[in-house]
Amino acid sequence: MELLTELFWVFLKVNLLSTSGPASVGLLYHQAVGRFVTEQQFVQAVGFSSVLPGSDALQLAMYIGYAAGGISGGLVALLASILPPTVIILLVTMILHRLRREAWLASFVEGLAPAVSVLMLFTAWKIFQKGGDAGWFGWLLGIASFIAMWLKLPERVVVVIAGIIGVIYSTL
Amino acid sequence: MNDRKFVVWLQLLWMFLKVNLLSPSGPASVGLLYKEAVGRVMTEEQFVEAVGFSNVLPGSEALKLAMFVGFAAGGVPGVLTALLGAVLPPTVMMLAVAAILQHVQHEDWLKGFVAGMSPAVAALILIVAWDLFQVGQSREIGRRTMLIAVLSAVALWLNLPSPLVLMGAGVLGVILFR
Repeated sequence: MELLTELFWVFLKVNLLSTSGPASVGLLYHQAVGRFVTEQQFVQAVGFSSVLPGSDALQLAMYIGYAAGGISGGLVALLASILPPTVIILLVTMILHRLRREAWLASFVEGLAPAVSVLMLFTAWKIFQKGGDAGWFGWLLGIASFIAMWLKLPERVVVVIAGIIGVIYSTL
Repeated sequence: MNDRKFVVWLQLLWMFLKVNLLSPSGPASVGLLYKEAVGRVMTEEQFVEAVGFSNVLPGSEALKLAMFVGFAAGGVPGVLTALLGAVLPPTVMMLAVAAILQHVQHEDWLKGFVAGMSPAVAALILIVAWDLFQVGQSREIGRRTMLIAVLSAVALWLNLPSPLVLMGAGVLGVILFR
Protein backbone atom coordinates (compact mmCIF):
# COMPACT_ATOMS: atom_id res chain seq x y z
CA MET A 1 0.00 0.00 0.00
CA GLU A 2 2.83 2.34 0.87
CA LEU A 3 4.39 1.63 -2.51
CA LEU A 4 1.15 2.47 -4.31
CA THR A 5 0.80 5.77 -2.46
CA GLU A 6 4.39 6.61 -3.32
CA LEU A 7 3.82 5.75 -6.99
CA PHE A 8 0.70 7.89 -7.02
CA TRP A 9 2.50 10.95 -5.64
CA VAL A 10 5.49 10.65 -7.92
CA PHE A 11 3.37 10.45 -11.07
CA LEU A 12 1.05 13.20 -9.92
CA LYS A 13 4.05 15.44 -9.32
CA VAL A 14 5.75 14.57 -12.60
CA ASN A 15 2.60 15.19 -14.62
CA LEU A 16 1.97 18.50 -12.91
CA LEU A 17 5.46 19.75 -13.72
CA SER A 18 5.83 18.64 -17.35
CA THR A 19 3.86 19.41 -20.47
CA SER A 20 4.50 16.23 -22.46
CA GLY A 21 5.79 12.68 -22.18
CA PRO A 22 9.29 13.19 -23.56
CA ALA A 23 9.72 16.32 -21.42
CA SER A 24 8.91 14.37 -18.26
CA VAL A 25 11.79 11.92 -18.75
CA GLY A 26 14.30 14.09 -16.91
CA LEU A 27 12.18 14.58 -13.84
CA LEU A 28 10.93 11.01 -13.83
CA TYR A 29 14.48 9.68 -13.92
CA HIS A 30 15.35 11.46 -10.69
CA GLN A 31 12.15 10.34 -9.03
CA ALA A 32 11.98 6.73 -10.17
CA VAL A 33 15.46 5.26 -10.70
CA GLY A 34 16.78 3.52 -7.63
CA ARG A 35 13.37 3.74 -6.00
CA PHE A 36 10.96 1.91 -8.29
CA VAL A 37 13.13 0.67 -11.14
CA THR A 38 16.77 0.05 -12.03
CA GLU A 39 18.73 2.10 -14.54
CA GLN A 40 18.31 -0.71 -17.11
CA GLN A 41 14.56 -0.83 -16.65
CA PHE A 42 14.29 2.94 -17.05
CA VAL A 43 16.12 2.77 -20.37
CA GLN A 44 13.70 0.04 -21.46
CA ALA A 45 10.74 2.18 -20.41
CA VAL A 46 11.92 5.23 -22.37
CA GLY A 47 13.03 3.16 -25.35
CA PHE A 48 9.84 1.16 -25.70
CA SER A 49 7.56 4.14 -25.00
CA SER A 50 9.12 5.91 -27.97
CA VAL A 51 8.77 2.79 -30.11
CA LEU A 52 5.13 1.94 -29.31
CA PRO A 53 2.34 4.14 -30.67
CA GLY A 54 0.39 6.41 -28.32
CA SER A 55 1.14 8.76 -25.45
CA ASP A 56 4.69 8.41 -24.09
CA ALA A 57 3.76 9.76 -20.67
CA LEU A 58 1.13 7.07 -20.11
CA GLN A 59 3.45 4.33 -21.30
CA LEU A 60 6.22 5.44 -18.97
CA ALA A 61 3.73 5.42 -16.11
CA MET A 62 2.44 2.00 -17.06
CA TYR A 63 5.90 0.44 -17.36
CA ILE A 64 7.37 1.91 -14.18
CA GLY A 65 4.19 1.28 -12.18
CA TYR A 66 4.04 -2.32 -13.37
CA ALA A 67 7.73 -2.98 -12.73
CA ALA A 68 7.42 -1.58 -9.21
CA GLY A 69 4.08 -3.01 -8.11
CA GLY A 70 2.52 -5.32 -10.70
CA ILE A 71 -0.79 -4.54 -12.38
CA SER A 72 -2.10 -2.51 -9.45
CA GLY A 73 1.10 -0.43 -9.54
CA GLY A 74 0.62 0.18 -13.26
CA LEU A 75 -2.98 1.26 -12.79
CA VAL A 76 -2.16 3.61 -9.90
CA ALA A 77 0.66 5.26 -11.87
CA LEU A 78 -1.68 5.57 -14.84
CA LEU A 79 -4.43 7.17 -12.75
CA ALA A 80 -1.99 9.67 -11.26
CA SER A 81 -0.80 10.60 -14.75
CA ILE A 82 -4.30 11.05 -16.13
CA LEU A 83 -5.69 13.08 -13.23
CA PRO A 84 -3.75 16.37 -13.53
CA PRO A 85 -4.45 17.04 -17.23
CA THR A 86 -8.07 15.88 -16.91
CA VAL A 87 -8.91 18.07 -13.96
CA ILE A 88 -7.12 21.01 -15.54
CA ILE A 89 -8.86 20.59 -18.89
CA LEU A 90 -12.27 20.33 -17.27
CA LEU A 91 -11.53 23.53 -15.35
CA VAL A 92 -10.18 25.28 -18.43
CA THR A 93 -13.12 24.38 -20.65
CA MET A 94 -15.41 25.80 -17.99
CA ILE A 95 -13.49 29.02 -17.34
CA LEU A 96 -11.69 29.20 -20.68
CA HIS A 97 -12.46 32.81 -21.39
CA ARG A 98 -11.18 34.04 -18.10
CA LEU A 99 -8.01 31.99 -18.26
CA ARG A 100 -7.12 33.24 -21.69
CA ARG A 101 -6.15 36.59 -20.21
CA GLU A 102 -4.10 35.02 -17.44
CA ALA A 103 -0.71 35.38 -19.07
CA TRP A 104 1.13 34.17 -15.99
CA LEU A 105 0.43 30.54 -16.79
CA ALA A 106 2.04 30.91 -20.22
CA SER A 107 5.02 32.67 -18.62
CA PHE A 108 5.35 29.89 -16.06
CA VAL A 109 5.60 27.31 -18.82
CA GLU A 110 7.97 29.52 -20.79
CA GLY A 111 10.25 29.63 -17.76
CA LEU A 112 9.83 25.90 -17.25
CA ALA A 113 10.98 25.01 -20.78
CA PRO A 114 14.70 25.90 -20.49
CA ALA A 115 14.94 24.25 -17.05
CA VAL A 116 13.32 21.07 -18.37
CA SER A 117 15.76 21.05 -21.29
CA VAL A 118 18.76 21.37 -18.99
CA LEU A 119 17.40 18.64 -16.73
CA MET A 120 17.05 16.43 -19.80
CA LEU A 121 20.70 17.06 -20.71
CA PHE A 122 21.75 15.79 -17.29
CA THR A 123 19.47 12.77 -17.67
CA ALA A 124 20.71 11.95 -21.15
CA TRP A 125 24.27 11.92 -19.84
CA LYS A 126 23.38 9.65 -16.92
CA ILE A 127 21.47 7.21 -19.11
CA PHE A 128 24.38 7.15 -21.53
CA GLN A 129 26.91 6.48 -18.77
CA LYS A 130 25.04 3.92 -16.73
CA GLY A 131 22.66 2.28 -19.19
CA GLY A 132 25.27 0.34 -21.08
CA ASP A 133 28.66 0.55 -22.68
CA ALA A 134 30.15 4.02 -22.31
CA GLY A 135 33.27 3.06 -24.25
CA TRP A 136 33.96 3.59 -27.94
CA PHE A 137 31.03 1.38 -28.92
CA GLY A 138 28.52 3.43 -26.91
CA TRP A 139 29.89 6.72 -28.23
CA LEU A 140 29.79 5.49 -31.80
CA LEU A 141 26.22 4.26 -31.44
CA GLY A 142 25.14 7.44 -29.63
CA ILE A 143 26.63 9.78 -32.21
CA ALA A 144 25.24 7.72 -35.09
CA SER A 145 21.76 7.73 -33.51
CA PHE A 146 21.97 11.48 -32.92
CA ILE A 147 22.87 12.15 -36.54
CA ALA A 148 20.13 9.80 -37.75
CA MET A 149 17.49 11.60 -35.67
CA TRP A 150 18.88 14.98 -36.62
CA LEU A 151 18.33 13.95 -40.24
CA LYS A 152 14.69 13.29 -39.29
CA LEU A 153 14.78 9.52 -39.45
CA PRO A 154 11.86 8.17 -37.36
CA GLU A 155 13.00 7.93 -33.74
CA ARG A 156 11.41 4.58 -33.11
CA VAL A 157 13.25 2.99 -36.01
CA VAL A 158 16.57 4.40 -34.78
CA VAL A 159 15.97 3.14 -31.22
CA VAL A 160 15.08 -0.38 -32.39
CA ILE A 161 18.05 -0.60 -34.75
CA ALA A 162 20.40 0.57 -32.00
CA GLY A 163 19.00 -2.15 -29.74
CA ILE A 164 19.51 -4.82 -32.37
CA ILE A 165 23.07 -3.65 -32.95
CA GLY A 166 23.55 -3.97 -29.18
CA VAL A 167 22.36 -7.58 -29.24
CA ILE A 168 24.69 -8.44 -32.11
CA TYR A 169 27.63 -6.69 -30.46
CA SER A 170 27.08 -8.54 -27.17
CA THR A 171 27.21 -11.92 -28.88
CA LEU A 172 30.50 -11.19 -30.61
CA MET B 1 -31.83 12.77 -29.91
CA ASN B 2 -30.14 10.31 -27.62
CA ASP B 3 -29.26 8.15 -30.57
CA ARG B 4 -27.47 11.02 -32.27
CA LYS B 5 -25.41 11.73 -29.18
CA PHE B 6 -24.49 8.09 -28.98
CA VAL B 7 -23.24 8.17 -32.56
CA VAL B 8 -21.05 11.18 -31.78
CA TRP B 9 -19.49 9.35 -28.83
CA LEU B 10 -18.82 6.24 -30.88
CA GLN B 11 -17.24 8.37 -33.59
CA LEU B 12 -15.03 10.06 -31.02
CA LEU B 13 -13.98 6.78 -29.45
CA TRP B 14 -13.10 5.32 -32.84
CA MET B 15 -11.24 8.48 -33.90
CA PHE B 16 -9.01 8.47 -30.84
CA LEU B 17 -8.38 4.75 -30.86
CA LYS B 18 -7.22 5.17 -34.45
CA VAL B 19 -5.05 8.26 -33.87
CA ASN B 20 -3.40 6.72 -30.81
CA LEU B 21 -2.70 3.45 -32.56
CA LEU B 22 -1.07 5.18 -35.51
CA SER B 23 1.04 7.92 -33.96
CA PRO B 24 4.11 7.33 -31.76
CA SER B 25 3.64 10.28 -29.40
CA GLY B 26 1.61 13.33 -28.47
CA PRO B 27 3.33 15.86 -30.72
CA ALA B 28 3.22 13.44 -33.63
CA SER B 29 -0.51 12.92 -33.27
CA VAL B 30 -1.34 16.57 -33.95
CA GLY B 31 -1.10 16.21 -37.73
CA LEU B 32 -3.15 13.06 -37.82
CA LEU B 33 -5.77 14.44 -35.47
CA TYR B 34 -6.04 17.60 -37.56
CA LYS B 35 -7.15 15.59 -40.56
CA GLU B 36 -9.63 13.60 -38.48
CA ALA B 37 -11.16 16.35 -36.39
CA VAL B 38 -11.13 19.65 -38.29
CA GLY B 39 -14.28 20.17 -40.30
CA ARG B 40 -15.95 17.18 -38.68
CA VAL B 41 -16.21 17.94 -35.01
CA MET B 42 -14.55 21.34 -34.69
CA THR B 43 -13.41 24.38 -36.67
CA GLU B 44 -9.79 25.04 -37.57
CA GLU B 45 -9.72 27.96 -35.15
CA GLN B 46 -10.88 25.77 -32.28
CA PHE B 47 -8.23 23.20 -33.17
CA VAL B 48 -5.42 25.75 -33.17
CA GLU B 49 -6.60 27.00 -29.79
CA ALA B 50 -6.68 23.43 -28.45
CA VAL B 51 -3.09 22.81 -29.61
CA GLY B 52 -1.98 26.05 -28.00
CA PHE B 53 -3.53 25.16 -24.67
CA SER B 54 -2.15 21.62 -24.81
CA ASN B 55 1.37 22.98 -25.09
CA VAL B 56 0.93 25.27 -22.13
CA LEU B 57 -0.93 23.14 -19.58
CA PRO B 58 0.77 20.40 -17.57
CA GLY B 59 0.26 16.68 -18.25
CA SER B 60 0.39 14.39 -21.25
CA GLU B 61 0.01 16.32 -24.49
CA ALA B 62 -1.94 13.65 -26.33
CA LEU B 63 -4.49 13.47 -23.53
CA LYS B 64 -5.07 17.20 -23.32
CA LEU B 65 -5.59 17.50 -27.05
CA ALA B 66 -7.97 14.54 -27.01
CA MET B 67 -10.01 16.12 -24.26
CA PHE B 68 -10.28 19.48 -26.02
CA VAL B 69 -11.49 17.82 -29.21
CA GLY B 70 -13.86 15.63 -27.20
CA PHE B 71 -15.30 18.67 -25.45
CA ALA B 72 -15.88 20.52 -28.70
CA ALA B 73 -17.70 17.51 -30.15
CA GLY B 74 -19.74 16.30 -27.22
CA GLY B 75 -19.30 18.25 -23.98
CA VAL B 76 -18.16 16.50 -20.82
CA PRO B 77 -19.25 13.00 -21.96
CA GLY B 78 -17.23 13.72 -25.12
CA VAL B 79 -14.21 14.50 -22.95
CA LEU B 80 -14.51 11.16 -21.16
CA THR B 81 -15.02 9.22 -24.40
CA ALA B 82 -12.00 10.83 -26.05
CA LEU B 83 -9.97 10.16 -22.92
CA LEU B 84 -10.87 6.48 -23.02
CA GLY B 85 -9.92 6.23 -26.68
CA ALA B 86 -6.58 7.97 -26.06
CA VAL B 87 -5.67 5.99 -22.94
CA LEU B 88 -6.51 2.44 -24.00
CA PRO B 89 -4.18 1.68 -26.94
CA PRO B 90 -0.85 2.87 -25.47
CA THR B 91 -1.40 1.50 -21.98
CA VAL B 92 -2.68 -1.94 -22.97
CA MET B 93 0.26 -2.34 -25.34
CA MET B 94 2.75 -1.14 -22.77
CA LEU B 95 1.30 -3.46 -20.14
CA ALA B 96 1.88 -6.41 -22.46
CA VAL B 97 5.43 -5.28 -23.24
CA ALA B 98 6.21 -4.64 -19.57
CA ALA B 99 4.86 -8.05 -18.57
CA ILE B 100 6.93 -9.82 -21.21
CA LEU B 101 10.05 -7.84 -20.36
CA GLN B 102 9.82 -8.73 -16.67
CA HIS B 103 10.05 -12.41 -17.63
CA VAL B 104 13.12 -12.03 -19.79
CA GLN B 105 14.83 -9.40 -17.61
CA HIS B 106 17.90 -11.55 -17.00
CA GLU B 107 18.36 -12.90 -20.52
CA ASP B 108 21.63 -11.94 -22.13
CA TRP B 109 20.09 -10.72 -25.36
CA LEU B 110 17.96 -8.18 -23.47
CA LYS B 111 21.07 -6.83 -21.74
CA GLY B 112 22.64 -6.39 -25.16
CA PHE B 113 19.48 -4.75 -26.46
CA VAL B 114 19.38 -2.27 -23.58
CA ALA B 115 23.09 -1.55 -23.93
CA GLY B 116 22.50 -0.70 -27.59
CA MET B 117 19.35 1.25 -26.87
CA SER B 118 20.90 3.43 -24.13
CA PRO B 119 23.01 5.64 -26.39
CA ALA B 120 20.10 5.97 -28.84
CA VAL B 121 17.72 6.90 -26.01
CA ALA B 122 20.26 9.44 -24.73
CA ALA B 123 20.44 10.92 -28.24
CA LEU B 124 16.64 11.00 -28.42
CA ILE B 125 16.45 12.89 -25.13
CA LEU B 126 19.00 15.41 -26.42
CA ILE B 127 16.97 16.04 -29.55
CA VAL B 128 13.74 16.49 -27.59
CA ALA B 129 15.53 18.77 -25.12
CA TRP B 130 16.73 20.95 -27.97
CA ASP B 131 13.24 21.14 -29.52
CA LEU B 132 11.81 22.06 -26.16
CA PHE B 133 14.45 24.72 -25.60
CA GLN B 134 13.40 26.41 -28.81
CA VAL B 135 9.68 26.39 -28.01
CA GLY B 136 8.39 29.93 -27.89
CA GLN B 137 11.66 31.34 -29.19
CA SER B 138 10.52 31.81 -32.75
CA ARG B 139 13.69 33.44 -34.06
CA GLU B 140 16.50 33.41 -31.52
CA ILE B 141 17.04 32.21 -28.01
CA GLY B 142 16.49 35.17 -25.74
CA ARG B 143 18.82 36.29 -22.99
CA ARG B 144 16.21 35.57 -20.36
CA THR B 145 15.81 31.99 -21.54
CA MET B 146 19.59 31.55 -21.38
CA LEU B 147 19.62 32.96 -17.87
CA ILE B 148 17.04 30.44 -16.68
CA ALA B 149 18.91 27.62 -18.44
CA VAL B 150 22.24 28.56 -16.81
CA LEU B 151 20.70 28.97 -13.36
CA SER B 152 18.95 25.59 -13.67
CA ALA B 153 22.20 23.95 -14.77
CA VAL B 154 24.01 25.33 -11.71
CA ALA B 155 21.19 24.27 -9.40
CA LEU B 156 21.13 20.75 -10.82
CA TRP B 157 24.92 20.56 -10.70
CA LEU B 158 24.66 21.33 -6.97
CA ASN B 159 22.23 18.38 -6.68
CA LEU B 160 19.23 20.47 -5.74
CA PRO B 161 16.00 18.42 -5.99
CA SER B 162 14.75 18.59 -9.58
CA PRO B 163 11.06 19.34 -8.84
CA LEU B 164 12.24 22.36 -6.85
CA VAL B 165 14.45 23.54 -9.71
CA LEU B 166 11.55 23.28 -12.17
CA MET B 167 9.19 25.15 -9.84
CA GLY B 168 11.82 27.87 -9.41
CA ALA B 169 12.31 28.15 -13.16
CA GLY B 170 8.55 28.51 -13.67
CA VAL B 171 8.29 31.23 -11.05
CA LEU B 172 11.29 32.99 -12.58
CA GLY B 173 9.49 32.78 -15.92
CA VAL B 174 6.44 34.52 -14.45
CA ILE B 175 8.70 37.30 -13.16
CA LEU B 176 10.89 37.65 -16.28
CA PHE B 177 8.44 37.14 -19.14
CA ARG B 178 5.83 39.69 -18.19
